[in-house]
Amino acid sequence: MPPQAFLQATFLNSATKATVTHKVTAWGAGHEYLLLKDSVLQRILLPLSANDTTIFLISFDTKIDTISFIHQTIQKFASMESGFYFEYKLQSIDYTHNQIDSILITDSLVTKKWNENIKLYLSPFAVGGN
Amino acid sequence: MRILNFTFLLLLLAAISYGQGEPQKKVKPKRTDNYIRMRGVRLGMDITRPFQDLWTKGNRYGSEFSADLEMWPNWFSVFESGYEVMKIKTNYIDFTGQGSYSHIGFDYNFLQAENKNDKDVLFFGLRYGFALAHQKVTQYWVDSYWGPVTGQFGNQNYFAHWGEFLVGIKGEIFHNFYMGWTVRGKVKFNHKNLWMPPVYFIPGYGKAEKGFTMDFTYSIYYNIPWDFRKKKGLKETSLEKDKLPSDLNPAKKK
Repeated sequence: MPPQAFLQATFLNSATKATVTHKVTAWGAGHEYLLLKDSVLQRILLPLSANDTTIFLISFDTKIDTISFIHQTIQKFASMESGFYFEYKLQSIDYTHNQIDSILITDSLVTKKWNENIKLYLSPFAVGGN
Repeated sequence: MRILNFTFLLLLLAAISYGQGEPQKKVKPKRTDNYIRMRGVRLGMDITRPFQDLWTKGNRYGSEFSADLEMWPNWFSVFESGYEVMKIKTNYIDFTGQGSYSHIGFDYNFLQAENKNDKDVLFFGLRYGFALAHQKVTQYWVDSYWGPVTGQFGNQNYFAHWGEFLVGIKGEIFHNFYMGWTVRGKVKFNHKNLWMPPVYFIPGYGKAEKGFTMDFTYSIYYNIPWDFRKKKGLKETSLEKDKLPSDLNPAKKK
């Protein structure tokens, strides 16, 4: 099984800057399968696509935001048994402001070693937030 | 890795200096009558090459032929050449690497002849090996939430070279027919770097990512009984006959 690179996003309260937990449902734009359904999380792992732009829709309780990641895709060789995988370099992020207040890129390299790539600052009025 | 390279260079230098030192001293060999002699060229085929997939990962097979010739008493120059293929097919990749390779070097025999017809040799050898090869990925598959991504890489050519040190034996099983094995250590010198995918397999050497590999060969040989150095050989033979004990010397028995 080849390694997989995931973009890791941490949820924070935009007022207190503290990490928060939310009930999240997420799916890829135009994708019929949900990535997450009503999962209560403090951070989320998002698989980017091999294209230059990956769009996710994330539902925080009842409010849905769209996040577009514009990235460079870098093909990597894992081994001759497991073949290839992709890593990414984030170039910019566009998003709606229904629940998201702002997004900060903390590490633009999305690699097989999962670490925090972005901070998602959420408006504090979200129901269910801590 | 550096130690292995250094060891190989030391062995090579020692062998070269030994070969060069001998004529300068002009010391005649002590056992002129005990040398194991081989007239003509000995041709061989390594019978392990087609079955390498039994002990290596992936479907690896090939063929190898050799020729060796006595240059000086106990010193044999050797040329080995072959072709190898490595195929790997998994759920994620369909890969083929293949190419030709050659070894050039020498063997030094340690055994003495107990009688004139002894042909068995126990030897130490050094080789310089090089390969011209190419690889391709017929198809690869990357699974993700967004669906599978497929692609391919066409033929990529590369060169590699390495050094080998070995020990082995060759025994005469029938008149002019031999069998023998070698155990080899191989030290990679260099190979061309490919961007993607990297060079995976070097024919005649093994996995490219390794700086040192071990190998085993088992070959059959035929000594062509044609002495193209006949004039020189006859002269040496007559000299050697004079030095043989009477019970081994047919000329003196008469």
